[in-house]
Amino acid sequence: MSAMLLNKQKWTEFTGILSGKKVLAPVACGDRFRYAVPAEGKAFSLDFDRPLVPPKSAVFPQTETLYRFQLGKTELAAPQPGEELILLGVRPCDARAIKLVEKLFRWDVDDPYYLRRRELTTVVGLACLEPGLNCFCPSLGGGPASTEGLDLLMVDLGDSYYLEPLTDKGRSLMDLASGLLEEAGEEGLQKKEEAVRRAEEKIRRTVDTDGVPEILPDLWEHPLWQKTAAGCLGCGTCTYLCPTCHCFDIQDEIEGFEARRCRMWDSCMFEEYTLHTSGHNPRPTRRERTRNRINHKYSYFVRKFNVIACVGCGRCVNYCPVNIDLIETLREVKEAQ
Amino acid sequence: MDLDKLRKTAAEVVSRDDVKYLIGWRPGSYGYRVAPGFVEEASAAETLIFSPLCTINLATYLTLTEKLPLPRGSAPDQRKVALMVKGCDSRAVLQLLVEKGIRRDQVLLIGCPCPGVVDTALLSLKYPETESPADLKWNGDHFLLRQDGQETAIPRLSVLAEKCRLCRYPNPVISDITLGEPVEAQLTAEDSAVAEVEAMELGARAAYWEEWFSRCLRCYACRNSCPLCYCRDCVLDRLNPTWVNRAVNFSENTAFHVARAFHLVGRCIECGECERVCPANIPLGRLNRKLAREVREQYGHEPGIDPDGKPFQAGFKPDDPEEFIL
Repeated sequence: MSAMLLNKQKWTEFTGILSGKKVLAPVACGDRFRYAVPAEGKAFSLDFDRPLVPPKSAVFPQTETLYRFQLGKTELAAPQPGEELILLGVRPCDARAIKLVEKLFRWDVDDPYYLRRRELTTVVGLACLEPGLNCFCPSLGGGPASTEGLDLLMVDLGDSYYLEPLTDKGRSLMDLASGLLEEAGEEGLQKKEEAVRRAEEKIRRTVDTDGVPEILPDLWEHPLWQKTAAGCLGCGTCTYLCPTCHCFDIQDEIEGFEARRCRMWDSCMFEEYTLHTSGHNPRPTRRERTRNRINHKYSYFVRKFNVIACVGCGRCVNYCPVNIDLIETLREVKEAQ
Repeated sequence: MDLDKLRKTAAEVVSRDDVKYLIGWRPGSYGYRVAPGFVEEASAAETLIFSPLCTINLATYLTLTEKLPLPRGSAPDQRKVALMVKGCDSRAVLQLLVEKGIRRDQVLLIGCPCPGVVDTALLSLKYPETESPADLKWNGDHFLLRQDGQETAIPRLSVLAEKCRLCRYPNPVISDITLGEPVEAQLTAEDSAVAEVEAMELGARAAYWEEWFSRCLRCYACRNSCPLCYCRDCVLDRLNPTWVNRAVNFSENTAFHVARAFHLVGRCIECGECERVCPANIPLGRLNRKLAREVREQYGHEPGIDPDGKPFQAGFKPDDPEEFIL
């Protein structure tokens, strides 16, 4: 199937076709958007900015039960994700991030939980025609209509959506709605390209990542980390809202004789991150912890997987309560060279 | 506020032998952002500002500074930390002193009488931010916004932070140097936000908090930004025993927020930082202000006002009301 157009007047019908499946879409919570199951029978729109929590949480939940067990018994019960999921309205940066995080979960062992969820999920992207103030995705190889990690890309053309299938999953989703779609044709393609070009022009902030992975190891003891850390509160906002941060902790949670082993997001900004049983902590202060955040994204991940683990979504810049600005930090890294 | 005077004073202060560094506000990297400025040299005082964008309560940094093990034979740096404080921030410092969280000779306070700061999120919703740092000034019942060469007058009440509408202490309650003239306390508004929650039926109130707490990400920005959350070993970080599970769900999140609210009873000075920093927009101010009002009305206690007072939870009077005991 080639690119098609969906008239916006048919949007409610389109969401009706999806109603038998589990759908996560951006839902307004106050003035911020979150991925959630839209209220039953209620039409939802794709008129949103950038959701607060990245959609990685759909495939890598903040808290995930790995298995349940009972004290004194040896059987384990491991839940398996089994439900198909359609992730609707995913920003191209966030889709790229899901692809990046996947590298880790495919690394030394294939992580069954993540990979199973990924397999069951259809990612439907929506191009960013109104990029945010802190968006800098082109600096990291993305773009407002980047298709990496997406099964289907939608572009808002005003009175209709342009639908471009990218994988078999995307194609089968479009097949379901084929009665509602019309050929996009050459005119549709041109309109789409024009819209994307205008969006690219709206992106203001840039980062020069050239050479950063190579410079970082030499700046290990550089005063810039102390400077960055001085204002840091040590909260997990930047890491929890980051679409590529993937550190997790594993804990047993026990209630009476029932227990479960869970995996939950962890943050290198926290004091107990990498705290050893002995009481020793290789990252004892915020200087080491802020340094770790940048190094992990822009150096360690690059060495291991040959790609920077940042997609330029700008959330960490936007939501840091004390204006620690990743773009500034990277500029300082370049200048310190 | 005369910025030249502020910078000159700051430069003098950091030049003193008994001062380690000064913590003030400096323009952030873009838009309406303001960042904490750590000034060690007199020349760096030029970057400091005081404007309606200076929402951050810098008192947090007094207890946030990490103490690293000292090299053998070296003595700890006993010099003072100079700190710029608004009215609410100064109450946090005073409360820290009353609780003996810090010592008076460890700080040098530069008081900034404050006519009220803006709700930055609200401001950027109504007047979108741009990539260049903006300048905002007090001007009577307006704020003057200068952004990309354009000047806009913004009615004060349309973007004033909620905590400032309720502020009863715009002038520093404690300071060593005071900059500018004292600000006349405005007529404080009714705390309509708290009243709104109080007016709810019990079930609706539970549903209200359930919805908000379910959205909590447990990033702990509220705890870490709080000048009075400074336990070295926080109950929430404990794993053995685990008082609050790491699992993020309504039940554990509620345990976290209730624990935090109760730890702040009679201590919260209503600077509103917890609510400002919350990425999930949880109205934590309502929770803390409700408890603060209960303590004020039931026990006549207000934290961060009386330098000779005792911490609320360390005091007892035989005629204390006890209507809440079932």
